[in-house]
Formats: sequence, structure tokens, C-alpha cells
Amino acid sequence: MTVTTITGSSFGDAPAAAAKPDNYLTHGKTIGSWLFTLDHKRIGIMYLITALLAFFIGGMLAEVIRTQLLVPQGLIFHGTGSVASSYAAYRYYNQVFTLHGIIMVFLVLIPIIPGALGNFALPLMLGAKDVAFPKLNLISFYLYVAGAVLAILSTVLGAVDTGWTFYTPFSIQTESYVVVMVLGIFLVGFSSIFTGINFMVTIHKLRPPGMSWFRMPLFLWAIYATSLIQVAATPVVGITFVLLMMERVMGIGIFNPALGGNPVLFQEFFWFYSHPAVYIMILPAMGIVSEVIPAFSRKHIFGYEFIALSSLAIALIGFLVWGHHIFVNGQSAELDAVFSFLTFIVAVPSAIKVWNWLATMYKGAIVLKTPMLYALSFIVLFTIGGLTGVVLGALSEDVVLHDTYFVVGHFHYVMMGGTLIGFIAGMHYWWPKMFGRMYNERIAQWTCVVLFIGINLTFFPQLMVGADGMPRRYASYLPMYQPYMIASTIGAYIQLVAFLTMAGYLMHSLFYGKKAPVNPWGGGSLEWETSSPPPHDNFETTPSVGDPYDYSDLVFDAAVNGYVHREKSEGPLVPVTASH
Amino acid sequence: MTMISQMLGHMDLGRTLAALWLPHGVSTFSPQVQFLWNFWYWISVFFTVLIVGLMVFFVIRYRHTKDRTIAEDSPSHNNALEITWTVIPLIIVLVIFALGFTEYMNMDSPPANSYNIHVIAQKWSWTFVYENGAISNTLYLPVDKPVKLNMTSKDVLHGFWIPDLSIQRDVVPGRVMTTWVEATHPGTYWLQCAEYCGNGHSEMRAPVVVEPYPKFQQQILAAANIFEQDGKPLPLSTVGKKLYTTLGCLGCHSVDGSKGTGPSWKNLAGSKEVLANGKKVAVDFAFLKTMITHPGRALIKGYPAGVMPSYGSRFTGKNIKNLYAIVWYINSLSKNSNKASQPPVPNKPAGSEPAASSAPTKAATSAASAAPAAANGAAAPVAKAPAGPQPVALHVLGAKIYKSLGCIGCHTVNGQPGVGPTWKNLAGYPQKLTTGKTVIADYKFLRTMILDPGKMDIAGSPAGVMPNMYKYQLSGKKHPHENKLNEIIWYINTLSNRSSKATEPPVPDVPAAK
Repeated sequence: MTVTTITGSSFGDAPAAAAKPDNYLTHGKTIGSWLFTLDHKRIGIMYLITALLAFFIGGMLAEVIRTQLLVPQGLIFHGTGSVASSYAAYRYYNQVFTLHGIIMVFLVLIPIIPGALGNFALPLMLGAKDVAFPKLNLISFYLYVAGAVLAILSTVLGAVDTGWTFYTPFSIQTESYVVVMVLGIFLVGFSSIFTGINFMVTIHKLRPPGMSWFRMPLFLWAIYATSLIQVAATPVVGITFVLLMMERVMGIGIFNPALGGNPVLFQEFFWFYSHPAVYIMILPAMGIVSEVIPAFSRKHIFGYEFIALSSLAIALIGFLVWGHHIFVNGQSAELDAVFSFLTFIVAVPSAIKVWNWLATMYKGAIVLKTPMLYALSFIVLFTIGGLTGVVLGALSEDVVLHDTYFVVGHFHYVMMGGTLIGFIAGMHYWWPKMFGRMYNERIAQWTCVVLFIGINLTFFPQLMVGADGMPRRYASYLPMYQPYMIASTIGAYIQLVAFLTMAGYLMHSLFYGKKAPVNPWGGGSLEWETSSPPPHDNFETTPSVGDPYDYSDLVFDAAVNGYVHREKSEGPLVPVTASH
Repeated sequence: MTMISQMLGHMDLGRTLAALWLPHGVSTFSPQVQFLWNFWYWISVFFTVLIVGLMVFFVIRYRHTKDRTIAEDSPSHNNALEITWTVIPLIIVLVIFALGFTEYMNMDSPPANSYNIHVIAQKWSWTFVYENGAISNTLYLPVDKPVKLNMTSKDVLHGFWIPDLSIQRDVVPGRVMTTWVEATHPGTYWLQCAEYCGNGHSEMRAPVVVEPYPKFQQQILAAANIFEQDGKPLPLSTVGKKLYTTLGCLGCHSVDGSKGTGPSWKNLAGSKEVLANGKKVAVDFAFLKTMITHPGRALIKGYPAGVMPSYGSRFTGKNIKNLYAIVWYINSLSKNSNKASQPPVPNKPAGSEPAASSAPTKAATSAASAAPAAANGAAAPVAKAPAGPQPVALHVLGAKIYKSLGCIGCHTVNGQPGVGPTWKNLAGYPQKLTTGKTVIADYKFLRTMILDPGKMDIAGSPAGVMPNMYKYQLSGKKHPHENKLNEIIWYINTLSNRSSKATEPPVPDVPAAK
């Protein structure tokens, strides 16, 4: 792989006399230069901050949920003795888990990888100056913020107690701020559609000369497949929520059985979006893992075409399986059978990816840095999440597992163990590029181990208690389930410790971290060709394109504490030591 | 320490490990469900161990070291290998699909000889109505006999979920949902609501008692009469206390003054309340009755609108007695109770009224309710003696079918709007169709609407909701005389003041010597 000269960076051979080089973080110093920026990198950072804030709120709500469930009658929200007083108290619990679900799904899991990491890395990986439509990009961000504000406003006004699924007719009848909340999600949906369009056009039009479809980094394939779903599926949930608002405000009688509507229709519409939305969440995370594993195995990704095309296969088949969420709602058994069959078909491309990642590690030179540890955690957690999904897809088994904690455990393994861990892997992978600083590697590695333990301790007991028959969304429960619930809560507290530590060392790195080199991990895609952090225009000169997974040309240079191209290196080559 | 030992007591470690988490189901579905679960479980264990094992092995074996800074040469793709690891998982998941599908089709087809139980779900209680008209909050099931559950919801979605019997089905308002089960072992299990339904969701459960058939029959006979205990009649206020639980009032109304979703019943009767529109009202009998039967007509200030289900259809005819019992109970909780707040019948044991002492079960109920029933203009039902099959008027049987078949889910009998047209003053009245035509609801019309609902739609009621299964259950080769159909239409006739020869079935409403 040939390489162009990189100038104006914090590279070791930059003239010492030169003024501190301008980068995108220092390019404008006013608040306005951030709020009205059209720079994809700054928009990415703003997404990152907003989504992490949302994650913090959603996470604290999760801790409230877990604390409530320490005792069968509820530890935080419980009655004063009479049944009626308990039920009145449980309403607050219902509001808490509803808000937890809405925040985590719509404000964290869906936007966090495309919004934060996609925005930051996608144009860089393409060697481009920006996304195709920078203004649309900023509009997307503000729609997302507006939606988040409405969601919080509805909570301040009086909260919503419908569950994040808004099932009718409960969501029509309940005296809570469903309309405001749904309007907020409607806006977030538009943000998602705009981001999808933007990324699709960017990948189509702004690929540099020489980067054919099958020479793109796999993260871009994943983002492309994700964008496809965002653009095609999100309008459906938008319309569904508009209908729900009209039902509540005007009583149009589409979902309300008392007016001749069909409450099950809402479920069909809702899952027509919300199942593909699961792939909106997981595909980009798989893309990140497909970047991290080869880079830290120092070996070419195995089966590039299979991974790339399996992303598209998941995106397309993913549109046809929504009925598996509603097997027991009375739709015809024949229809159930079709949905069940397609559900099993969509499981296969995910399995393919896992085998490919393992084969990539085979005969590699595996560096266990933090991003890699998270990628490996992803493989384990996603395997458990995926396999538990298989049994849920089997019709007779779904009957005994539907709406139990088994489902809760399953999708937390996929969403938390998959999407979120994938995001954290990506965040650690690109952190030096984003902020030009290294975090404390040792603490980060230990945090990953603690988080991995915490996640399993939280969600594995949930699988067990669900198979034992405990339904989900319960503010109180039968005493026989208590041991599982206590274990799960301890796990949640361990996770809290891990996340607070992570927040601590990342914040610390911003101010006191070591200066990051251009290419700390030896990545082969184009974002590692520009300085850390990159200049305002990303690249001084357009970098030339090679195979993003060919690492043979990269060697470790102790002088800059990072990887350099063989012919660029000065002085003797030093082998990498496994940890610093 | 005690807490820990208590906890361990709750957890059955043997069950957890040996059964691989799934409870040992005791229905005819359970063995197959357990088999597929185990099949999936061991495949999952195998693949998890394989994947994690390979991963750990590679990390150790191919760890980046001083001597190993670059990867060894190995191919970056291998089509044969990749096709293999695509096809093997595909075959495995297709086998799991086929096994799951086969058992599911079985779960979907109730046998023809099933015993019928009507399940009514509402926020936040379960009510079960048996073929003999008995009502209970405990689900009684016979062993080794298929039971078909016809389920309706009065308000929102609920989930009918009995882990130990391996059955689950959503209960959707405006529809009759069905599932079936055949329990294989006696015992007590839990029915839990699985579909989120609001404040009391987590407490919306009911015991499920599975017993040998003779004992099951005794249970439902006993449950059929709430007005007495161990053969002794009870005061109405005590009956009302039972109904407070049975009908689910306890979900919103406390009896100790604590705040709930609805007003507490403590010191309610005879007090003064402010309505949401600012008016002050005295809580007398008439007000309490209205709030229970037509809760939409008034709202006490400070409470959410639209939460209280309408109980109007539960208290028509002889069931008005149940309303009296509840109001007596409310009165018994209030220090303000007075003549105006009390029901028009005395709070005496139901059996203390004439002619009841010799006939302990049904006669007591019907004798006590004779007065209100007559006042409603309906013919007093012919009393059924407890021993031996005595003739019963057809419309009385029709009233039972109204419940057991699930008509009650959509059709009210008191004029309240439901999903389908109310049966009150239906027979003999002109009905506007969606085609614009108007027809008189005579016998022929009623028969067509029940057996073949797709033929015509009454304007104002949603099309396609009424199940079209009744032609198989009430008519056709298996039911040449259409006995049950006639009973239903007789019942509809007794609810109308325009009932005539043209609206009545072709058989008279007396013999019923079936």
C-alpha cells in the first residue's frame, strides 16, 4: 500500500517551531462555532455527548428498576397495606420502566452508533471532507435534540406509563402524556431517516477513486445496510404514531376497539418498524466488531464478501419477520408459521459473522487492547443473545416464553451485550482519533472485565427466571423468583460501578491523557492516515486507497508510540510490546 | 441470615439445575415443549462452548508477543468452509422450526369434546364463568379432560399465561380469544397476566386448581352460589365483601382509607363528595348505583376519568342482588351510612326470606332476586331445584350460553353500547344496515346474524368482528334442532319490549326437557 505524505499533524517529524497545529476541535472557539457547525466531526461529538447523557438517565432509571425488584412487594414503590394503595404506587414503577425503554431504544441504541461514531468516522473512512449533505446532517441532530426534549417534557408534565411499545388500547385510554411523548419519537424518527439518506448518498457518491464497493471497510457496509432500513422502515412507525395521536385526540377509531378499531393492527404496524429497528441497532455494532477484530489480530478479515453481504441479507430479511413478536396475539397459525420460518432464516447470516470473526483471529497476532476486549465480549454476549433468540422463534417454545423475563434477558443480551458493547468498542477504538488523547489502558481493560461480569450477572438470571415463568413489566412478583432478582440487581450495581469508572477515565484522558499518535492501533482504513485529532478539512491531501485490512505495511514505531508505514519509519523498527 | 435462608428456601435448586429452568409442565403440551427446549438447550451449550472455547484458545495460542508481531500466512477466505458453516446452522434451525411448528398446530386446535370456560379479563382481575353459570376468581380445571377457554377483555390487552400448563394467549378487547388445555396432574398453579395492562398488572394473577373431575364438579357447584357458605345463608354485606375481591374492585378502591386509583370505600357511603365539574353530591344509594353501572356519567374530583370499567351488564336481572350486596358492603364500611345510602332491600341473610330454607342453593338466589327481576319486566325465571334435572325455561339457558359462549364480551344486555349491538330492545326493533336498508330484527334476522355474521352489517357496529364460528357450534349437521340457538334467541326476546311471534323462535319457551 502506497501512502501519501501527511502534513500539519502532531506527527513526530513535524517542525518543532511550527505553531500548535489547527485541528477540528480548535478550529472555532465560540459556542456558536459548535452549535451551528456543519463539520461532521463536531456533529458526531455533539451526538456523542447528547446520547451519552441520555444513556446516563436511562441507566439510572434501570438502577431504580433493579432496586425496586430486590423484594417481592417492591422496595421503592409499594403500597401502605391495601391492594389499592399498592396499585397506585406501582404506577410510578410503570412510568420508570416505560421511560427507561423509550430513552434506551429511541434516544440511545438507535442513534448512538450512526449518529456519534458513524458521523465522525464515515467521511474519514471514505477519505472525504464531509458527508454529502452537511446541513441536513445538522438538521438531523437538532431533530434528535428536539425529540429528546419533548420526551423529557412529557415526563416533567406527568410521564407516560404505556411501556415503550405503546400498545393500544391501553395507550389510548391511559391518562398520561402519550401524545407529547409520541410526537418526540416522531421527530427522532425523522432525524433517523435524514441520517440514513445522508449516509447512503455519501457512500454512493463520495467514495474516493479506487474504493470499489468491495474495498470499503466493513463498518461502511454495516452503516449502509442500516441506512437502508432507517429510510425504508422509519416512516411506518412515524405514520403509526401519527395515527395513535389522532386516535387519542380525535377518536378516529382505527385502533380503539370501542370505536370499531383493531388494537392488534397497532402491533403489526409497530413491529413492522420495530423489528427492523433491532437491526438498525445491531448492524453498526457488528460493523465496528468487523473493524476491531482484524486490526487487533493484525490479520486480514476472513470472508469479507460473506460479512458484507450478510449485512444486506439481514437488512432485507429483517423486514419480513416482525410477526414473531406477536405469535400469541391471535393471528392465524399459518401466518405464525411463515414468520417463524423467516425468523430462523435471518438467524443464519448473524451466525456467519461470528464464524468469520473467529476465523480472522486464527493464526493472527492478537493484541488484547481495550477495543479488542470489548469486541471479544461482544462475541460471547451476542452468541448468548442470538441463541436465546432461536428458541423464542420456535412457535411452541414462544408460547411458554413470550412476555416473560426470558425475553427481557434475551434482548438485553443483544442490545446491551451487542449494540452497546459494540459502541463502547468503537468509542475506545476511535477515541484517540476523536480527541487526540489516549485513555489509561490498564484501567480501561479492567473496566471491561468488570462490565462483562456485571452484564452476565444482570441478565443471565433474567433468562432463568423468565423460563421459570416470571412475566415482564412486573412491579412486584411471587417470592419464589426473589433469588434471581437479587442476583440480577447485584449485576446492575456492578455495571454502574464499571460505567462510572469508564466516565472517570475517559474524562481524565481529555485533559491529562497522553497525546495520541496518528495510528495507535495499526488500523488500515483511511481515518488512520490523518492526524489525531484530524484537521478541519479531514485530510490535507486526498489519501490513496488500498485494502483496508492489509496490515503488512504497518510497523510499530516506539518514537511516536504508534504505527507507521514501513517506508515512513525512521530509526530502527521496534517490535510492539503487548501492553504499555 | 434469616432472609438468606428464606431466599434459599424459595429457590428450588434441584428444579433449577435438573429441569434446565423450564418448569415441569403438567399439561398434554408440556412433554413436547420440554423436549424441544432440551434439544435447543444442548445445541446452544455446544455452540457456546465451541465459540468461546475457540476464542479463548486463539487468544492464548496466537497472542501478540515480542516474537509474534505479525500474523502467520493464512487464507482470507475459503468458500467451502464458509458454505459449511452457513449450511449446518441452517439445517439445525430448520429442524427446530419444524418441531416448534408441529406442536404449535396442536395447541391451536381444541378438541370438539372440550369443556367450555369463559374467561373475563379486566383491570386487574380474572373471572371465570363455567358451563353451569358458576363464577369464580380461581380457575378450576378437571384432570385429563380438554378445556376450551373462551376469553374476552373488558378494557385493554391482557395475557393469559399459566407457565405450569404451558399455555399462553393474549386477551384482546373486542374479540373472543380461544386457547385450550388438558391438565395431566392435580395441583395448584398460578395464572399470571403476561401482557402489560397498567397499575395492577403485576398483581393480576389467579390460582389455578387442577382436580379430578368429580371434585371439579363439586367446586363449581359450590362456586355457583355466592350467597351462602357451608349451606348457611350470608348477610348481603358479607357477600358484598366477597364480590369486592371477585369483581376486582379491590384493585382501585381501598377499604382502609388509603389512596388508590379510585376513591376509598371507607366512610364513603352517606358522605358528601365534590365532582370534577364542581357540583357537590350526596353519596346515596342512587349515586353509588350510577357510579357502578354507568361510571361515565359522573366523576369524583381528583380521580382519573375512564379508568373504572362499566359493571352495568354484570348487574342486570337477578344479578341486581349482587349490586345490593356491594352497596351494603360499602355501607358497612362507613360511619356516615344512613337510610338514603343503603339499598332498598334489608341486609339480612339471603336465606331468611320465605321458601328458601328448604332449597339451599339456587332457589335462595332466585327467590331473593324475584322482586327486582319482575320489576325489570322480564318473566321471573322458573326455579331450578338443586337435585335432579327439572325443566328450565329456554331463555334461562340462553342467558347462560350468553356467558359461556362469550357473547357477553361484545353485547351488553342493558342498553350500554358495546363492540356489537346491545341485546336490550333488539328483537322487534328496526335495524339500519350499512347498505342503507332498514330491517326489523325478527327471528330470521337474528338467526342469520348469529350464524352467518358476514352477510349483513348493522350500521354503527364494526364489520368483521363477530366470529363466524357459531354456525358450527349452534347449527349444521351436529345440531339439527338448533336447540342452543333457540335458547339464545329466546333470551334476546326476553330483553326486548317489542318481542312478538315474529321475533320468537319456532319452539315454545317452556319444555326444555333435554
